[in-house]
Amino acid sequence: MVGRGSRRDVGPPGEPRRIAYLYLLPAFIVYAAFLLYPLLRAVQISLYDWDGLTLGRWIGLDNYREVLTDEGLRSAFGHALVLMVFFALIPIVVGLLLASVLNRAKVRGLSFFRTVVFLPQVVAMVVVAVAWRRIYAPDGSLNSLLGAVGLDSLTRGWLGDYDFALPAVGFVGSWFEIGLVTVLLLAGMGRINGELYEAARLDGAGPVREFFAVTLPSVRGEIAVALTLTVIAALRTFDLVYVTTRGGPGNSTSVPSYEVYHRAFELGRVGSAAAIGVSLTIVIFAISFAITRIGDRGTS
Amino acid sequence: MIRSRRLLLIASVLGVTAVAACAPGSSTSPSTSAPSSASAVETDAAKMGAVTLLVWDQEVRGGQAAQMAELIKGFEAKYPNIKIERVSRSFDDLKTTLRLALSGNEPPDVVEANNGRSDMGEFVKAGQLRPLDAYSTAYGWEARYPKSVRQYSSYSPDGKTFGEGNLYGLPQVGETVGIFYNKKKLAAAGLQAPTTWSELQSSLATLKGKGEVPLMLGNLEKWPAIHVFGTVQGRTTPPETIKSLAFGRSGATWKSPENLKAAQTLVEWVDKGYFNKGVNGQDYDPAWQGFTKGTGVYLIAGTWLQADLEKAMGADVGFMLPPGSAAGDKPVATGGTGLPFAVTSKSKHPDAAAAYINFITSEDAMAVLAKTGNLPIADTSAQVVTGTLQKEVFSSFGKIVEQDGLVPYLDYATPTMYDTIGAALQDLLAKKATPDQFLDRLEKDYAAFVSAQG
Amino acid sequence: MRVSRAERSANYVILFAFALFALIPILTILQAALGPGDSAGTGETASFAGLHLGNFTEAWQVGHFGTYMRMSFMVSASVVVVSVGLSILSGFAFGTMRFRGSTALFYLFLLGIMMPSEAIVVPLYFDLRTLGLTDTFWAVALPQVAQSVAFGTFWMRAYFRSSSRSLIEAARLDGASNRRILWQVLVPLARPAIVTLIVLVFMWTWNEFLIPLVMVTDESLRTAPLGLAFFQGQYTQGFTLLAAGAVIVATPVVALYLFLQRHFIAGMLEGSVRE
Repeated sequence: MVGRGSRRDVGPPGEPRRIAYLYLLPAFIVYAAFLLYPLLRAVQISLYDWDGLTLGRWIGLDNYREVLTDEGLRSAFGHALVLMVFFALIPIVVGLLLASVLNRAKVRGLSFFRTVVFLPQVVAMVVVAVAWRRIYAPDGSLNSLLGAVGLDSLTRGWLGDYDFALPAVGFVGSWFEIGLVTVLLLAGMGRINGELYEAARLDGAGPVREFFAVTLPSVRGEIAVALTLTVIAALRTFDLVYVTTRGGPGNSTSVPSYEVYHRAFELGRVGSAAAIGVSLTIVIFAISFAITRIGDRGTS
Repeated sequence: MIRSRRLLLIASVLGVTAVAACAPGSSTSPSTSAPSSASAVETDAAKMGAVTLLVWDQEVRGGQAAQMAELIKGFEAKYPNIKIERVSRSFDDLKTTLRLALSGNEPPDVVEANNGRSDMGEFVKAGQLRPLDAYSTAYGWEARYPKSVRQYSSYSPDGKTFGEGNLYGLPQVGETVGIFYNKKKLAAAGLQAPTTWSELQSSLATLKGKGEVPLMLGNLEKWPAIHVFGTVQGRTTPPETIKSLAFGRSGATWKSPENLKAAQTLVEWVDKGYFNKGVNGQDYDPAWQGFTKGTGVYLIAGTWLQADLEKAMGADVGFMLPPGSAAGDKPVATGGTGLPFAVTSKSKHPDAAAAYINFITSEDAMAVLAKTGNLPIADTSAQVVTGTLQKEVFSSFGKIVEQDGLVPYLDYATPTMYDTIGAALQDLLAKKATPDQFLDRLEKDYAAFVSAQG
Repeated sequence: MRVSRAERSANYVILFAFALFALIPILTILQAALGPGDSAGTGETASFAGLHLGNFTEAWQVGHFGTYMRMSFMVSASVVVVSVGLSILSGFAFGTMRFRGSTALFYLFLLGIMMPSEAIVVPLYFDLRTLGLTDTFWAVALPQVAQSVAFGTFWMRAYFRSSSRSLIEAARLDGASNRRILWQVLVPLARPAIVTLIVLVFMWTWNEFLIPLVMVTDESLRTAPLGLAFFQGQYTQGFTLLAAGAVIVATPVVALYLFLQRHFIAGMLEGSVRE
């Protein structure tokens, strides 16, 4: 190993540099103070029963036990899983289709379509929620549309329906994420070597076979990135639930992030809220890790 | 290198134990040094110097917004040295953010807080609200606000007893939940305004038969159904029981045949299709707006909608108290006061805050309230009322107060009852829970709280 | 690669369908915002060729959007300036220098990208409150700087790593200091990546909801998305003004996006799948 960092900060390339730490420091200070330290504090607070005002009471892992056993919290995490299907799986399936269409064909106005399809990502979630809350209203456009095509029997107050509120919220997520995923996958597909397609065609493969044999394996990396981003988005949905249902009807759209806010700032159960937040973080890390592992395994 | 690593290990272990050893929060709760005698408070607002008061309220609906704006203007005109900075928010948003605001370092001076245990009870317990008894004596509020009204804003200093103790707030308006009805549609169906409960029930069937939506309800926000259920419960359960249940006092139970009948009636109404479709998915405000546009014949709601409904429907809308089993029966209805205005204990200008509250509840203020379509809680009979709906609302309220027929809102009962009953009612209306399960859930919350109170 | 005409038309149909799908909710809001007053409360607002632009002024006043928009601009601008600056520095370090612990430190930064604000907002609020720092501009801005720095470091590192090695080596051999190399050689070349980062950070900060909700109770410090959420509860008389408010809140970011979308999308695609 070379000496412990050269004393001059300008040395021959390849030398380890002390000066790097100086460049890192400002970013690291803000990051550590406002993200890392609070995370540690969250872990600490989660071990107490605290109302935010008076002295906290040590209860060890009881809050975490509650996360695993309390029916309300378990269903909240369950709902988050359902949302993952809407935020991640559906957009990826649809995105693959859309991206391959955009990629294959010499479609004119490609950038226009790309711009439009990506637009939902740019709009603030609160605005999105306000718009969709209106669409889902009993006298909103969705019910009008159903009525117009003669499906009157299906109309209902979507956000107040026990069976459909969660899928309705989830569908907003699908709408929101499809653009991002499509654009991401399209970029990946654009990098695929044309010769691979030639070879496949020479073997007599039609568009479907081409897709599965050439396109799909080549965008494994992009799919991993898309999955990670959308899964995290699904697990973090606070704005959407706050503006549309606040967890209702009953508790059918409760999600962990809303529970964190509700417990910490409305019910005065700060320790429990911190535990839920930490659990959420662990779940996100675990899933991201798993996705990267699977993604890596494919590209060997 | 090995040494530095060991040092690191020791340091982190020490750090962890240090961190684990200090519990969050402090053991001293903020003390409220409230003046104990009337002479210690300043009541002449003009002498208070330049002050800015931060006020949070939820006066957002038509009549409410109008009265608040007018009163603030009047106050600032009378006392140019005091400036009012007002934040107005919906009931739900205020509920969500008030706790955060009160626990912060610079809370508002005056807040309009829901007087139930889940809000005001908790705030009093945490020492965040200032007792107003000294001001009450100094300003003479006791003369104009009878004890039966003041009880709704009174708590013991430890927050345990609701309905007696110190006065923590003063409301502007009275409220009662009753039945708004579309006069034209009733007449068109050949019906008269029902005077007994059975008449009401049969009119529901008739209206349904004629293709109308008998009952309009928007329950997306979860709390509107509490009023509807309270109305039905008032027909079956004795008022004293309801009061015990709603104030969180011991000695009552949710699991009684009367309460069961109330829950069953509600489910019956759902089964017979008396409600608009998808009540749990319908917003509260669009629901009454739909009522004004002709959907729904009855709207079980509170007198706070008077101004908006009168503006939209004029003489076509009427108001009545929920009818009893016989025409002359003593009326029972959910209601009481509107949300009271309270002073925070961290406020640096409690005297000015109290002067503001005094102004917006004064006799002149009551007249402004009546003029803008609200229902003043004090000096009600002295008001000049115009408009058919307003007359009906005022006379109904006067009648029920006179006969002491008001029972409190059911969500007042425990710190978690607001959440519990809101969700439970949504489940009941959606047939996700049977009436028995519904009552079990309420009983669990209520009984746990009452036994913990000791 | 010849594509049959049938396939090409089918492709257009699919594309149009999805474009429509993406646009419809946005158009619904726009249409409501430009429509006539629909409630018992508001009278007719000023209209021009059937488009009721007066709705926007009314929503602006009733919903106090002036304060909120100004606050949002200030917060977003500050967060962008600070975090992009810091990210360039740290990305440069990670991307071009070797030093002990660089991998571990980098993974530490990566954590920040995945960490949900829900986990940290609770302890952060209570700690800042003890310090008396809640209800301040920096209470809203700094947590978002921290989040943006995590992503920004990743982003700039990816870019700098792929910058021409030979360029950097040549500059070093010429005796240029690190500072010269960064600001005068690399950054000008990195403009597309930096522009993309600016746009992304601006968008995420502008649209952030939870952190401002918790950190401030003072009205004058609230941001636009919060204003809209509260306006929804406060404005009980219909949908028109709410829709107008929604348009007001969404417009700055959408405008930025449309103006810079070439940079935006291109940059995002190029940088996203490195590593």
